[in-house]
Amino acid sequence: MSFSSLDFYLATVVVIFGVDVLSAWGLNLQYGYAGIPNFSFIVFQAAGAYTAAILTLGPMTATSGQTYVAGTHVPFPVALLAAVAAGAALSAVIGVFAMKRMRADYQAAILLILALILNQFIVTDTSLFNGTSGLANVSRPLGSLVNPSTTGWQWAYAALVWAICAVVLFAVQRLSRSSWGRALRAQRDHDAAAAALGCNVVALKMQVFVIGGAIAGLSGGLLVFYLQAFNTASWGYEETLAIFVSILIGGVANNWGVILGTFLVQIVFVEVPNLLPQFGYIGLVDALEWVVIGLLWMAAIALRPQGVIPERRVRAERFGLPALRRALPAATAAAAPGQQGAHEERLGATGGASRR
Amino acid sequence: MLAPGDLRPLVEVCDLVVSYGAVRAVDGVTISVAPGEVLGIVGPNGAGKSSLLAAVGGQLRPTSGQIRLDGVDVTKLPPHRRARRGVVRTFQDTSEFGRLTVFENLLVAGLGMHGASLYAATVGARAQARRTATAAERAAELLARFELEPMRDTYAMELSGGQRRLVEVMRGLMREPKLMLLDEPTVGVAPHLSEQLRREYRRIAASGVAVLMIEHVLEVVEEVSDRVVVMDNGSVIAEGTYDQVMQSQAVREAYLG
Ligand SMILES: Nc1ncnc2c1ncn2[C@@H]1O[C@H](COP(=O)(O)OP(=O)(O)O)[C@@H](O)[C@H]1O
Ligand SMILES: [Mg+2]
Repeated sequence: MSFSSLDFYLATVVVIFGVDVLSAWGLNLQYGYAGIPNFSFIVFQAAGAYTAAILTLGPMTATSGQTYVAGTHVPFPVALLAAVAAGAALSAVIGVFAMKRMRADYQAAILLILALILNQFIVTDTSLFNGTSGLANVSRPLGSLVNPSTTGWQWAYAALVWAICAVVLFAVQRLSRSSWGRALRAQRDHDAAAAALGCNVVALKMQVFVIGGAIAGLSGGLLVFYLQAFNTASWGYEETLAIFVSILIGGVANNWGVILGTFLVQIVFVEVPNLLPQFGYIGLVDALEWVVIGLLWMAAIALRPQGVIPERRVRAERFGLPALRRALPAATAAAAPGQQGAHEERLGATGGASRR
Repeated sequence: MLAPGDLRPLVEVCDLVVSYGAVRAVDGVTISVAPGEVLGIVGPNGAGKSSLLAAVGGQLRPTSGQIRLDGVDVTKLPPHRRARRGVVRTFQDTSEFGRLTVFENLLVAGLGMHGASLYAATVGARAQARRTATAAERAAELLARFELEPMRDTYAMELSGGQRRLVEVMRGLMREPKLMLLDEPTVGVAPHLSEQLRREYRRIAASGVAVLMIEHVLEVVEEVSDRVVVMDNGSVIAEGTYDQVMQSQAVREAYLG
């Protein structure tokens, strides 16, 4: 691999990593904080990607070589905002029936089937987004600032993506630590009890579904301007599984942990195998990759549905309560396990290792 | 002193019917509870006690009948709207928020902490911070009163059955309730905690809260209730003081089969 192709590859990985981290934060709000098993998450990324593409491809002409609706030219920031809006709007529409009170397993099934149907729909109706061939020739934005055909542009774009990640991280942290975020987690753990304490559970779920959808749309917009192309193979349902696994491994309701999980799953499992020597028939390595992700997902769901890394404990001290008396010396604590103070500190030290 | 029964009832349940398909779990029940009164509900398994409580709390839509709170018809209000009018409850299987700490379980129950308003949680963060501070203060008081301070940062899922029950009751008290619904509130609770809980139920009623309590253990019913309703097969078969209902022929028959 020559230096320039390595440079190209690295920049691409950094961009994809950022896009995947954004997606994972969006899904983490929905699943990690609110318990919504959104198996159609990737659909909302696609909504953003297609929207951003058609809004910048310009009107379709005889020489476009692709068919699509509503082609026009808007500036990059407008297209990106439209991608956000598309993700949010589609979520609002789907949320109307998918966020009703129902069993979580039905909800998961409905959302998964929806992802399959919508993908098939776009495959079949080629007039919308050019079917399986998808949209291509999306122009790289900000070309007046950096020459878009250089790796310099790629790195600049990577910086932009990560700057947006920083803003989104700030926002999701703020949301998840607010009373709104706490109410989300409460209804996730026991929806009837949360409702009996004044939480409007359906409204909370609807809100987080739309916010997560907006983040998905944003990630799709950022992705399409980098790849310059997007088709139905880019948003198979299994892409959502990979995001789920990242969250389960890195941190359910833990936005920093999700970065680690995304790195392990999306970079180490999904990207690195592309660099390894291929073996078997063409596509075998790819297929094995998804088998591994499927197995990881099943293992995580079976063994630790609340995530491998525990949720961060929110201590009362944060709300101005005086610190608890410090732990007794280890010997005393061991000798008097019945003492609640010592018990608490032990639990604190193990970070909730005794969770079911 | 004013006897509890002399006050205007806080909650009135009129001719309530709750059905699951063809099964009429509650079949025309009429009861009322006054502020400061503990009404105990007893009856064999499957009598319809939990279904009655769920209809009052809003978890179940009744087939017919009416529920009035403070004279206002709340029959069609969803549970969160009833909660905001001062109804709190515990569940037969404890309902702690397992992956929230004890302190957060209390905080989320605080007034104005139900998170419905994204605006309040983000843009209007000032006012929300004030509400949070008030709730945190109340939570600290309750932790002290229920002697759970050392457990405040423990995940609720790590608590014993009795401690979970305490957290449920404390959560209810965070809301300064008018009506507290308790479904078998001493089941699975260690004896010393059960004693503490029974004292608390009396204390809660003494502060003016109407308490509707389903309870199996007759000593608890005798100790805590001002008045007792006996249900069997979806209907009320006896009503009165503990001693009165225990002498009733219908009750003896229901209990002896
Ligand atoms: N979700 C349900 N679906 C169908 N039947 C139910 C349901 N919940 C309770 N029942 C039935 O309704 C009747 C009353 O149940 P319940 O209110 O739980 O009684 P209790 O609390 O007095 O034991 C029982 O016959 C029970 O089998
Ligand atoms: Mg019951």
